[in-house]
Amino acid sequence: MSKTHRPHELPEELLELWQAYVRGERLALSRLLTLAGQRHYKAHFYHLFAQPLPGVSSQVVAITGSPGAGKSTLIGRLIPEIRQRGRKVAVLACDPRSSLTGGALLGDRIRMSIDAEDMGIYIRSLATPPGRQGLAESLDIRIALFERFGFDWILIETVGTGQGDVAVRDLVDCLVLLIQPESGDEIQWEKAGLLEVADFIVVSKGDLPGASRTAEQLQQTLNLPGFPTKPVLVVSAAKGSGLVELLDQLVQQPRRRHHPERRRQRLLLLAQELLAERFQEEADLVENVLREAQRAGWNDWQAAGELISRLARTGCKP
Amino acid sequence: MNDLPRGNMNRLNQRIVLAKVGLDGHDRGIKVVARALRDAGFEVIYPGLWLSPASVVRVVAEEDADWLGISILSGAHLVLVPQVLELLRQQGLHHVRVVVGGTIPEEDVAPLLACGVAKVFGPGSALADIVHYFQGERKHEQNPSSA
Repeated sequence: MSKTHRPHELPEELLELWQAYVRGERLALSRLLTLAGQRHYKAHFYHLFAQPLPGVSSQVVAITGSPGAGKSTLIGRLIPEIRQRGRKVAVLACDPRSSLTGGALLGDRIRMSIDAEDMGIYIRSLATPPGRQGLAESLDIRIALFERFGFDWILIETVGTGQGDVAVRDLVDCLVLLIQPESGDEIQWEKAGLLEVADFIVVSKGDLPGASRTAEQLQQTLNLPGFPTKPVLVVSAAKGSGLVELLDQLVQQPRRRHHPERRRQRLLLLAQELLAERFQEEADLVENVLREAQRAGWNDWQAAGELISRLARTGCKP
Repeated sequence: MNDLPRGNMNRLNQRIVLAKVGLDGHDRGIKVVARALRDAGFEVIYPGLWLSPASVVRVVAEEDADWLGISILSGAHLVLVPQVLELLRQQGLHHVRVVVGGTIPEEDVAPLLACGVAKVFGPGSALADIVHYFQGERKHEQNPSSA
């Protein structure tokens, strides 16, 4: 047994689940996917995954785009294509969690109807907290859980993102940006953000009249001479067109996750997540400062200054 | 099948799968309940219409749900609900509690409860009562001693 793997440090229930998971029990996978999101279990997963597993490498693809662009529908259509090729596919479907109540309505499965008997598919819905660049908690662990379970493809549906939610790129091999027809003009495409970091641009709803024009505009803007080219594809879930081409192109993508720069970004991301959690633990601090601000009549700036100096004292330096 | 450990059950965001089973296209009610439970801080998974019992149980398993809420307005509850419960048992999902809502006649409530349903919300159930029920159960679970 290697030095990094010390089962005796693991909580008993986690070890039992892990063993069932390694035997290939789907219920154990399901439960581990849940526990991965809980803070006090998280560190244990890094122990569990420390032992290398030879020969397993999934193609991890994130699909992003504004709400209503057709992300779930596209994934719903890709699933049978992937299954037809004899590959197993797992989906992590993210929807937003309310910043007000902590609740969430996860409805992505509606557009992903699957054969109830086909165990080569696994879909998990995830609530994504606000203010994390659209990333669900412990997405890295959840991807790893699917990979080790033997899924060839892992598709991640991001929450309907805005323009700046680019962090998911560092967790995946390939980032597909879905754009619906008539959703912007040329200058929109020049802006920094998702278009810049996406590996693939896919125009959805290809059966609509504006689709080819949007694709043309994107082609022209993105593939300027002297810049690396970026594929622009048109798909139509309604007609089923473009799906085979998209999958063919995705298959050929290199596994960018293993690139050193991505590795660095992932560690940074983890550090940010841990710091954010540390701060959650210090939530009392905010309440205390607020109370004192009220009492002493501080303005917002004085309160903020006080908070910063107290955070510095706890080691959570801003 | 042995029950797998649940891990720490003290999570705030309990997960509820709300499902329409069988040939029943009326989803107004279930959508209202979904919204209300979302606003009460639950994670609600809504997989859509016309699911078979096997599909529903699959969703519950994949989503690691704590609850399954079944809405039936077709009158087939005495056939479909026992099927769902049996499949849950077969798959080792003993911890999942099942709530049934819809057009359930008074005389069908007892048989449903007898086969393992935790609660039935028939016609005229107030939305607030449904939410209170889930909140009460959640509180009880997180704080068993205080109940």
